[in-house]
Amino acid sequence: MTPLLSVRGLEVALIRDSQPVPVVANVSFDVAAGEVLGIVGESGAGKSVAGAALIDLLSPPLRRTAGEISLGADRLDRMTPRQLRRVRGGRVGFIFQDPMTSLNPVLTIGRQMADTMRAHLRLSRAEIRRRSLDWIERVGLPDPPRVLDAAPHELSGGQRQRVVIALALCAEPELVIADEPTTALDVSVQAQILTLLRRLHHETGSAMILITHDLGVVAKMCDRVAVMYAGRIVETAPTDRLFHAPRHHYTRGLLAATPAPDAAGRMQVAAIPGQMPGVGDLPTGCAFHPRCPRADALCREIRPELTPMQGALAACHHPLNAARAAEVTA
Amino acid sequence: MILHAVERILQTLLVILIISFIAFMLIDTLGDPLGLLLPPDASLAERQALTERLGLDRPLLARFAEFLAGLPRGDLGISYRTQEEVSGMIAARLPATIELAAVALLISLVVAIPAGIYTGVFPRSRFARAIMFVSIAGVTLPNFVVGILLIAIFSVQLGWFPSFGRGATIVLGGWETGLLTRSGWHAIILPALTLSLFQMTFIIRLLRTQLMEIGRSEHIRFARARGLGEARLWFVYALRNALLPTITMLALQLGNIIAFSVVTESVFAWPGIGTLFLQSVQAADIRVIAIYLIFVGIVYMVINLLVELLYPLIDPRLRQRHA
Repeated sequence: MTPLLSVRGLEVALIRDSQPVPVVANVSFDVAAGEVLGIVGESGAGKSVAGAALIDLLSPPLRRTAGEISLGADRLDRMTPRQLRRVRGGRVGFIFQDPMTSLNPVLTIGRQMADTMRAHLRLSRAEIRRRSLDWIERVGLPDPPRVLDAAPHELSGGQRQRVVIALALCAEPELVIADEPTTALDVSVQAQILTLLRRLHHETGSAMILITHDLGVVAKMCDRVAVMYAGRIVETAPTDRLFHAPRHHYTRGLLAATPAPDAAGRMQVAAIPGQMPGVGDLPTGCAFHPRCPRADALCREIRPELTPMQGALAACHHPLNAARAAEVTA
Repeated sequence: MILHAVERILQTLLVILIISFIAFMLIDTLGDPLGLLLPPDASLAERQALTERLGLDRPLLARFAEFLAGLPRGDLGISYRTQEEVSGMIAARLPATIELAAVALLISLVVAIPAGIYTGVFPRSRFARAIMFVSIAGVTLPNFVVGILLIAIFSVQLGWFPSFGRGATIVLGGWETGLLTRSGWHAIILPALTLSLFQMTFIIRLLRTQLMEIGRSEHIRFARARGLGEARLWFVYALRNALLPTITMLALQLGNIIAFSVVTESVFAWPGIGTLFLQSVQAADIRVIAIYLIFVGIVYMVINLLVELLYPLIDPRLRQRHA
């Protein structure tokens, strides 16, 4: 089956004084129709940049320098600005992170939603009104007519994020990219928003890319996960396999860094020592080797490529769990 | 909303009252009107008569009350220099200043709004850089230098426009206008251009900075990510946000144009109230100076009041704050 979205060799660079510094390198992944792919990593790993690069939402000095991006039969990387505009919002919805800054402060919610629909769908004024009310209701906001007439500042953070979701989905895209959709919210609201996203995902049947640093969110939402480190994907696996048998040492480190109760019921966190290298400051070989317990001369010199390992892909010279992974597969 | 408006109007009136009092105290305490108005050999009876005519023998507050009561009626007293009614002197010169200010504002808006939007949307383009380079001149050159340069080039060298005066004027319902004659238009172009240059470059720079900043904001990125066209993005989504600070500055600038046309008027010998003010200063004509002060104060306050009452129409965030 051909995937809905196929990304091959995506590269984004920081163009500074004509000397490009790579920020995202050789990122490849597929998303099938109806699938939820998680992209996880620390801040600065390049996951948001990779997401924005898919529909060319980067602003200078960031620029996509290479990569094939296919959505269905179309190549997004070859599109004219006019064609891309139609894809944005219409075929690929983008949910932004911070609801406090993502809505235009001087226009009503109804106006922002009507403009979005009008950019993609040929609808009468009455039909736009009807669909707007419907969307406000679908994202679980009370009193839709009042919400449409409201300005963003009249709504709470959680309500605004529901509006952001409605705006991203109202032109019925086939693929939704959600960039840290719950990071800016109160913990109590986060769960509600995730539940809403999952429900809408089932209702609309759209595929989703969920960009997050939160493995808890991944466990709840995603079918498959891509782990990014220093601008590259280091491991891709179905969610349960990634959690039970991580192949890459970085993935295991991330999992261990998630607070979990030990045998005595005390919360334990094992931080990964050191820091992710900054942009333009990558070590030779495997970018993770300075922090990796298993690093040796090979890791310091030769960068491992993503290699298939029992239904998953990992870029590591000394992968973990080779046996257990086989078990899970069997 | 209405309560807020009433509150602001009352505040405005209070400030105007205070300005009027300061102006009145100036008139009352500075200079010797009798000495100025009467010949040195005036008799005591003549002095007495004038003292009574000017009301100088009555208590301070009573005189202030009378002065205030006179303001709305246009009864502003008489000039110590010419013994003319001050109201008449101002009324005769106000149209010239207002027309100059209006044309200057029009020139700055017509140039600055498109230029500001262009330089804000395409800050890297060659043309935008050229505009910004030229605009430095507008910000840094003083008004009188610009005026003199324009006269040197367009009046003296090229002879296209007159270097002084208003040209021919027509009186229309008590308003002496120069905007209906060819020579009037010829005469107003150089001084209006001079007066507009600073505001023009100021608005270009303000609008540009605003749009560049708003263009980088998350809500514009989100709107772009929803597939809105660039025209709608800039002209509706970004410009609406840039409007509030721009209109605020515009209003303050309009106050400046009217109030401080003094320099430009004197360079071009423009017969407006700025020139009247300078003549009055030279003659120590305190009453005219004081009335000018009140006039400038009222212009400022009223423009600011109007702008503030306009805000809630532009920005919904301001709609309930004072409800």
